[in-house]
Amino acid sequence: MDKLMRNKKAIILFIAPALILFTAVLFIPVCKAVYYSLCNYKINYQPKYIGFKNYVMLFTKDKTMAIAFKNSIFFMIFSIVTQLIFGLILAALLTNIKKGRNLFKNIYYLPCVLSSAALGLLWMFVFMPRLGINQMMASLGWIEDCTMGPEWLFNTDGFIILPIWVISFVALWQYVGQSMMLYMAQISGISMDIYEASYIDGCSKKQSFFYITLPLIKPMVATAMSLNAIGSLKFFDLIYNMIPEGFLSHKADVIATHLYTQAFKFSKLGYGSAIGVILLILCLIMTVIINKFVKTESYDM
Amino acid sequence: MNNTMTISKEKRRSRIITTLIYIFLVILAIIYIVPILWVVITSLKNDSTLMLSPWAMPEHIEWGNYAFAWTKGHLGTAMLNSFIVCSITLIVSMVFGSMAAFAIARLRWKLSKLAMYYFLIGMMIPIHTILIPLFVQFSQWHLSNTLTGIIVPYITFSLPITIYIMVGFFEGIPNELFESACIDGCSVYKMFTMVALPLAKTGFMVTGLMSFVANWNELLVAMVFISNDAKKTLPVSLTKFVGPYHTNYCQMFAAIMIAIIPTIIAYVAFANQIVEGLTAGAVKG
Amino acid sequence: MKMRKILAGILSMAMTAGLLAGCGGAAPADTAAPAADTGAATEEAAAPATDGDVQEISFMIWDDLEASEDLITKGYKESVDRFNADFAGKYHCTPITTNLEEYYDKLNALVAAGDTPDVFIASPGANLNDYAMTGVAAKLDDYLDADGWKQTFTSDAVFAGGTYGDEGGDGPGIYAIPLNIAAACVFYNTEMFEDAGAAVPKTFSELLDTCQKLQDKGYTPITISAGTAWCLSMVAGYLCDRNGLNLQDIKDHKTDWKDEKVIKAGEQLQELSQYFQKTAAGDDNDVATAAFYNGEAAILIQGSWAIGQINGSCAEGFADKVGVFAFPAVDGSSADPNRVIAKSDSLCMSAATQYPDAAIQLIKYFVDDTASKYTAEIGGKIPVTSVQYDESIAPPELKYVMDVFKNASSTFGFYNESLADTEAGSTFDNCFVEIFKGEDPETALDPIEDYYEMNVWE
Repeated sequence: MDKLMRNKKAIILFIAPALILFTAVLFIPVCKAVYYSLCNYKINYQPKYIGFKNYVMLFTKDKTMAIAFKNSIFFMIFSIVTQLIFGLILAALLTNIKKGRNLFKNIYYLPCVLSSAALGLLWMFVFMPRLGINQMMASLGWIEDCTMGPEWLFNTDGFIILPIWVISFVALWQYVGQSMMLYMAQISGISMDIYEASYIDGCSKKQSFFYITLPLIKPMVATAMSLNAIGSLKFFDLIYNMIPEGFLSHKADVIATHLYTQAFKFSKLGYGSAIGVILLILCLIMTVIINKFVKTESYDM
Repeated sequence: MNNTMTISKEKRRSRIITTLIYIFLVILAIIYIVPILWVVITSLKNDSTLMLSPWAMPEHIEWGNYAFAWTKGHLGTAMLNSFIVCSITLIVSMVFGSMAAFAIARLRWKLSKLAMYYFLIGMMIPIHTILIPLFVQFSQWHLSNTLTGIIVPYITFSLPITIYIMVGFFEGIPNELFESACIDGCSVYKMFTMVALPLAKTGFMVTGLMSFVANWNELLVAMVFISNDAKKTLPVSLTKFVGPYHTNYCQMFAAIMIAIIPTIIAYVAFANQIVEGLTAGAVKG
Repeated sequence: MKMRKILAGILSMAMTAGLLAGCGGAAPADTAAPAADTGAATEEAAAPATDGDVQEISFMIWDDLEASEDLITKGYKESVDRFNADFAGKYHCTPITTNLEEYYDKLNALVAAGDTPDVFIASPGANLNDYAMTGVAAKLDDYLDADGWKQTFTSDAVFAGGTYGDEGGDGPGIYAIPLNIAAACVFYNTEMFEDAGAAVPKTFSELLDTCQKLQDKGYTPITISAGTAWCLSMVAGYLCDRNGLNLQDIKDHKTDWKDEKVIKAGEQLQELSQYFQKTAAGDDNDVATAAFYNGEAAILIQGSWAIGQINGSCAEGFADKVGVFAFPAVDGSSADPNRVIAKSDSLCMSAATQYPDAAIQLIKYFVDDTASKYTAEIGGKIPVTSVQYDESIAPPELKYVMDVFKNASSTFGFYNESLADTEAGSTFDNCFVEIFKGEDPETALDPIEDYYEMNVWE
């Protein structure tokens, strides 16, 4: 048996396809991206090594990058906080009702499996001045006519502009189902005995939620948080489809859309790679922070 | 006497709370369903009635919108492309993934732990980072503008999660099963196909679902790699059809509907399995 | 041990290559995709042509030849169809279609992959530079001179946008053949003008008066899209030019983007913007132009391709209500008020094409008499060849545009396509959107100034 499982030929045969594909299509390109990010590389020309110039430019001169960075960080914080709160509330409510739990659960989860591209377009139409919400507000008499309503996707005032808020809420709408399900899965894993014991000790339902449920699902909070953090840093589809190209003078850009514009609209492959490397570093940092921070705490108790 | 009073009071309070919870849940459900219903209704109207009252029901049902989006919007072609891409990705990533997972979980070699970590790192790499090097590389290999050119990255990005989940399943198989197979004279390959694979069906379902849903909806890679209308996948065709041409809104809404209908049908039919499967995958991830 | 690792490494690399090559060849995806495969087309083209073989060429264009309702695009489709029919068995052309928004990205991708389409469309300016100056597009002088082809064009001036000096990839010469000319004009609704008692303005202050009169009558004076940035940028370009700005001076750093002429143009745009429709910031080009076609707004500043749309999709009789005038002069400026923004779709031939004869033949079909007649009579664009077309069939607006064009002392390109590169053009567009939204021109112009500081003036 042991000899069989140490069969070198078999090991290589089993691991090779995945390993090679993984190395060629993921690992080597990451190294290449790092190299390109140190180059002046326009499409149809050869890359030319220029050291850290791209990064210096990104951090000191590129105003759109500053905006994209701000928006991405905002997205991340917004989605971590709101998904945690709403996900927990929904999970708690749904585990406490008897009838229709499945139905509600499935309805809230639906947008998670639909294409963000399609949903982005859908919401773009909803927020279009002449078409969606403003028309409804006008017909209800809340506003004079549809052109007077809020410029949902076009107002560029303020530190975090209105379109970013709107898109944040759409993202919450789309993905809160996933957080909800993660928490529900964890809650349903908690043994009923613990709750019963707590009721005997005189705990109310509310108390048992705060003193039993919350502490016990902490590891899942870490999982959900890092999913949210990385997901929102990589955020592209919704925003690309809700704000048409070139609208708003890049004020609603996030890191991913900035990368796309620089690399594939303006053909600056080296500069785009630098943005990609920064995105990679951000993702790694966030994973480490969340896992260290949330998980160690859960060991403490 | 006093005791029963408090009990009925409690009961009434909890009934009120339950009602409030239900009201909240129903309102939320409406927020989830109304936008999609709006698309359904609008996709059956024509533009002139749409602008007058965007929220009214259609007077005449216009199936022509769907025909237009299906043919002129290339959504028919796109759906076929998406299906081909997702199916091939699904099969290949499962085969490669389960093989690697078997090697890591069951075969004995020094570097198996290291190999696992190597694949796990892959889960943290955003596809955006490697988009540019892949674009350059695939251009040179003449893979850009072919479906193969997006299938390869899709497989690669499905691998880490597939391997991770399948390792969990293979490790859970009791050792005795393999030992008895060994006594029966099974080769290591037979152990994989006859013992390990049949016992990891749930794992396949979970990983397959995750990979299919993710790739069916993937936009960025497909958008970068595919130039020709005839090769575009569903999200790209939709984006590029609705974006620049939206002079006729009702046709755009029909396009959106076409893009999400297959998923909705599959979801309505297998909602519980899909939700549980994807959640199981996410928990493990 | 070390040796074995190295061996394993080499082995895995080799397998990767094999695997990927295998994927490329074996995946059923390619054969299953229903329409033409450009990869296959080039492979076919790479095989040496023998007598019986059909020479297969690809042609890339920025609109969907099948679905488009644009009359000019429909004309292009006719040209391709005629070419394929006339040369059946000898040449065949397969179009690659994308849409305008992503056209240059996709063309660049094909160029990078070494799959440059044999014939492709491009706009003169920064976009064409990328191909003409890097050896992607072929120099066409020999073909133009060969059989008097060049003499069929109205004048040598039509080639100005495609002509390069020493910076051309293959030396000085012509790298692109223009197909038609569109001029940016002011379209107006004659009924509304009459109703408001407004006259056709000759100067900017008269334009403001006219708008005021229209607004007093309850009309939306001007419909424009600031969402689709190039629409607003067209007006900005006119204002800069009418104030006497010379783009070459900026390029040579004799002046900069904070020049008082640019600032003045910004201020004038702000003055004018009070007469735009309320949703101008959010409307895209389609929505904005629709407001003019539906009779909601009185003035549309647009390229003459609008004629094709008016002719193709507007209500019966609307075309008769449309008048055209040239963008007015700026009061007190010494600049030439008769310059016109013009743009021509141009065709390039890949320098790497296997079948230059077929490619040239295809290009000729786009500017032959049939095609040029169509351009004028149906498409409503100005033809580049000296073709006789029937003015009575041609849309009435074409005549007005022709008048504007004939009176023009010279032409200049769209600003966003005439700057140093595409990103500079996009930055310029965005600056003027900010100005339109009310930012002080002095600070709103910082991004374009910075961009030139960093990338152009070195």
